Amino acid sequence: MPSILNRLRPYAMVAPALVVFSLFYLYPIGYMIHLSFHEWNFISPVKTYVGLNNYREMLADDTFLQVLRNSALYTVMTVLLATGTALPLAIWLNRKSAFHAFVQGAIFSPHIISLVSISLLWSWLMDPEYGLLNGLLHLFGISPLKWLNDPGTALVSLVIVAVWKSLGYNTLVFIAGLQSIPPELLEAAALDRSKPWTTFRRLILPMLSPTLFFLVIINLIGSFQVFETIAIMTQGGPINSTNTLVYYIYEYGFRFFKIGYASAAGVILLIIVGTLTLIYFRLLSRRVHYR
Amino acid sequence: MARIELIDVVKRFKGETVIPNLNLTIREGSFTVLVGPSGCGKSTTLRMIAGLERQTSGDIRIDGELVNDTEPGKRDVAMVFQNYALYPNMTVRGNIEFGLKNRGVPKRERERLIRDICEIAGLTPYLDKKPQSLSGGQRQRVALARAMVKNPKVFILDEPLSNLDAKLRGQMRTELIELHKRLGTTFVYVTHDQVEAMSMGDRIVVMNKGEVMQAAPPMVLYEDPDNLFTAQFIGTPPMNVLPASRLPGLRTEGEGHAEFVGFRPEHALLSPETAELTREGLVIAGQIATRESLGAEQVYKLRCEAGSFFVKSFLNPYVGGDFALAVVPFERLYFFDRDGNRLRRLRAVRPQLAAAGV
Amino acid sequence: MSMNDAGRRSAIGQAAGVRRPLAARRIRAVLEAMLFAANRACMLLLVCAFALPFAWMLSTSLKTLPETMIFPPEWIPAEPVWSNYAVAWNSGPFLTYLLNSFIVSVGILILQMLTIIPAAYAFARFRFPGKGLLFGLVMATLMIPAQLIFLPVYLMLSDWKLLNTHLALILPFASSAFGIFLLRQSFMQTAEELIEAARLDNAPEWKIMLRIMAPLARPVLVTFALFSFITHWNDYFWPLVMTTNESARTLPLGIAKIRETEGTATWNVLMAANVMLAVPVLLAFFAAQRQIIRAFVYSGVK
Repeated sequence: MPSILNRLRPYAMVAPALVVFSLFYLYPIGYMIHLSFHEWNFISPVKTYVGLNNYREMLADDTFLQVLRNSALYTVMTVLLATGTALPLAIWLNRKSAFHAFVQGAIFSPHIISLVSISLLWSWLMDPEYGLLNGLLHLFGISPLKWLNDPGTALVSLVIVAVWKSLGYNTLVFIAGLQSIPPELLEAAALDRSKPWTTFRRLILPMLSPTLFFLVIINLIGSFQVFETIAIMTQGGPINSTNTLVYYIYEYGFRFFKIGYASAAGVILLIIVGTLTLIYFRLLSRRVHYR
Repeated sequence: MARIELIDVVKRFKGETVIPNLNLTIREGSFTVLVGPSGCGKSTTLRMIAGLERQTSGDIRIDGELVNDTEPGKRDVAMVFQNYALYPNMTVRGNIEFGLKNRGVPKRERERLIRDICEIAGLTPYLDKKPQSLSGGQRQRVALARAMVKNPKVFILDEPLSNLDAKLRGQMRTELIELHKRLGTTFVYVTHDQVEAMSMGDRIVVMNKGEVMQAAPPMVLYEDPDNLFTAQFIGTPPMNVLPASRLPGLRTEGEGHAEFVGFRPEHALLSPETAELTREGLVIAGQIATRESLGAEQVYKLRCEAGSFFVKSFLNPYVGGDFALAVVPFERLYFFDRDGNRLRRLRAVRPQLAAAGV
Repeated sequence: MSMNDAGRRSAIGQAAGVRRPLAARRIRAVLEAMLFAANRACMLLLVCAFALPFAWMLSTSLKTLPETMIFPPEWIPAEPVWSNYAVAWNSGPFLTYLLNSFIVSVGILILQMLTIIPAAYAFARFRFPGKGLLFGLVMATLMIPAQLIFLPVYLMLSDWKLLNTHLALILPFASSAFGIFLLRQSFMQTAEELIEAARLDNAPEWKIMLRIMAPLARPVLVTFALFSFITHWNDYFWPLVMTTNESARTLPLGIAKIRETEGTATWNVLMAANVMLAVPVLLAFFAAQRQIIRAFVYSGVK
């Protein structure tokens, strides 16, 4: 086979994938950044260059600041709850028996069901008049809550849904991490007279830290991207209490047709997600010398 | 140093009986080696002594004390794992210190102990390194140091040399023997390599399928095996075993009926077919199939009517052609019955000079 | 071999009639049994927290409308109202939705297989200038979620008049950085000797790829296929953005739409629709639980 063809072959093999990525990932990012410096209402063929105006407008917009705050709050709460409870759960459920497999499967099941299903289900569960949650509260003598209809509780309600969905996944990933710890290490620790808490703190936790970081970052990035639950359950309300970044972009792009402005918000999202990703890779490369 | 006793110990794993009924005493201060093929139960036995596995029934005593319900950490047993099991997130110092810290040893004492042990183990330059950056041999030393610093009653070693290359293995073997001499602690050592077992142990326990085939000092195992398994397990090449019925020159007297006859390759002498036989022994005629020359030793594989067998010789290579007579002195013959048990009260004698057709 | 000593000692120990340890052992056994039961009970409670919502969903789907408006809520309807399902099904072109979902998910999977296998193979087995950079670029896209690029891609597809077509839902996902990553790992782990033996047998490169490496990578491919199919089947966001036409929409959109058309409170019909959406996936999950979990969990833990 001629040597030129040989040398071109690998490029030919990666070309299809690269074309898709360049076209639908890399180019759009560039395009979005470009658009963020313009004003455009999608219908007219004219895109006016406005420099940093969009950004200035955004930072002066109270709603945007609230959106940022909501996103941050939502993310922090979700990640803390979803990973913080997953670790003790993983330690509790970490055993290879049919019963344990059943329990693990049960808590994992929400992860593979569509978010639409979950959003609709929980909208019904959280119905202020006839929902099951209020019914359960009633059993304990607690007065019903307004859940999604109250600006004070709406965001927290969404957090509950998010935690319900991701808890199983986080737990199982932790379990996988726990099971990758060679059992001899734990035996050696037992022979070293290590008490359970000491073993956890000084041996298990350090060895689990790559998994922990992975989950935290994955959950963080996922939380910033939340959209479906908001679109179906609250539409950003009431009074913008559940308006988060992606929904904000969606509204400005598809409802108010302020493309440039929406793109600018998209760039902000890009910066946040990009930073988190970089942090993850930096942490990963530092701790990769474990095995 | 302590004596270890296993009394009527049974171990079952999910319906499978790995150890049916084990009775074993390990003498204090001894270097006892548990040896046997994979799956024979030696590692399981070791782990039960350490407390990492719980026996299904039976008692284990260390120094006379019943330890059935004692946790591993409190049995005063130190273990060196096959893969060393060093804590990857701690330095060498941290690894050695961990057990001491858990016992509440005060800081100054800890530092002294660590310093001493590292001098003995030659680890002082590596104290602040993590296990990943150490070589196999160095990691092994850390594992040893971690065990030694606890000054235990019993040292347990689970195939510690199997991950090292041949040269290092030989080196560590002698070091371990010297260590045992110096410390005098009871050593319980597990290996599947019979050469390692023979060279290191002062008492060897040969195990098969969860049972003790024989427990004795090395030379006793070599010269006076109790059964076929032990006889064939020790020695390189292993003892030749041929069905007694197919050896025409054999005549025995005494108790028992010999089903199998065994002799060690190094006890057979090769003579040309036409030679005058001056020794009193069993004569087997055979054809030489292969010859291996290892410099000082020659190993021949011969085929005869009864099967094939090996002859090991330290003399000059055999030059008598492809056919030879292997002569085994009568006193070097071992007899076994159908179940593989050794028949000690049977002797070989010179066959009647029968007018057998040649 | 002091077998006799040991035997004697155990007999002595037993004869000494140590009664107290026996009682202590019995009490401990009882405590252990209680702890075990409590442990299991807590686990079942946990399972309930996850199973109850689904049970409630099923229960609601079989109620009449007035029955859904009882407070405190009751679980079992007077008579199961199966017609809710018919109403849900007829409230929109569900057959179309189903078909679209299927075409899109399968189309994506096929295209993904076509693009990731050669790419992963090239990244795993060849050395060429710029390989590191190109691979880095591919991996970078892992961090670019749909929510970031939907707007520009929407504008692009709109320019090309591809909105409301299957292509709009398939093409952007025609490749997968995640798939390339997984497959590359798998290819790199194939023993070099196998490939050398094949080369000595004069096998052309494509044969090596298809006949030797792809079969060995089958478990990874199956894992990825499961992951991809389920993810795209469940996707709500992308079809929402890219389609406005009923004929092009997928199942998740159809279900969500019921809420808008029937008014806000026909929960029984809505839940019936929800059951129809969720049950196939749940059934698949029970059938292939281990495979599915492995697909989602282990692919994340490198």
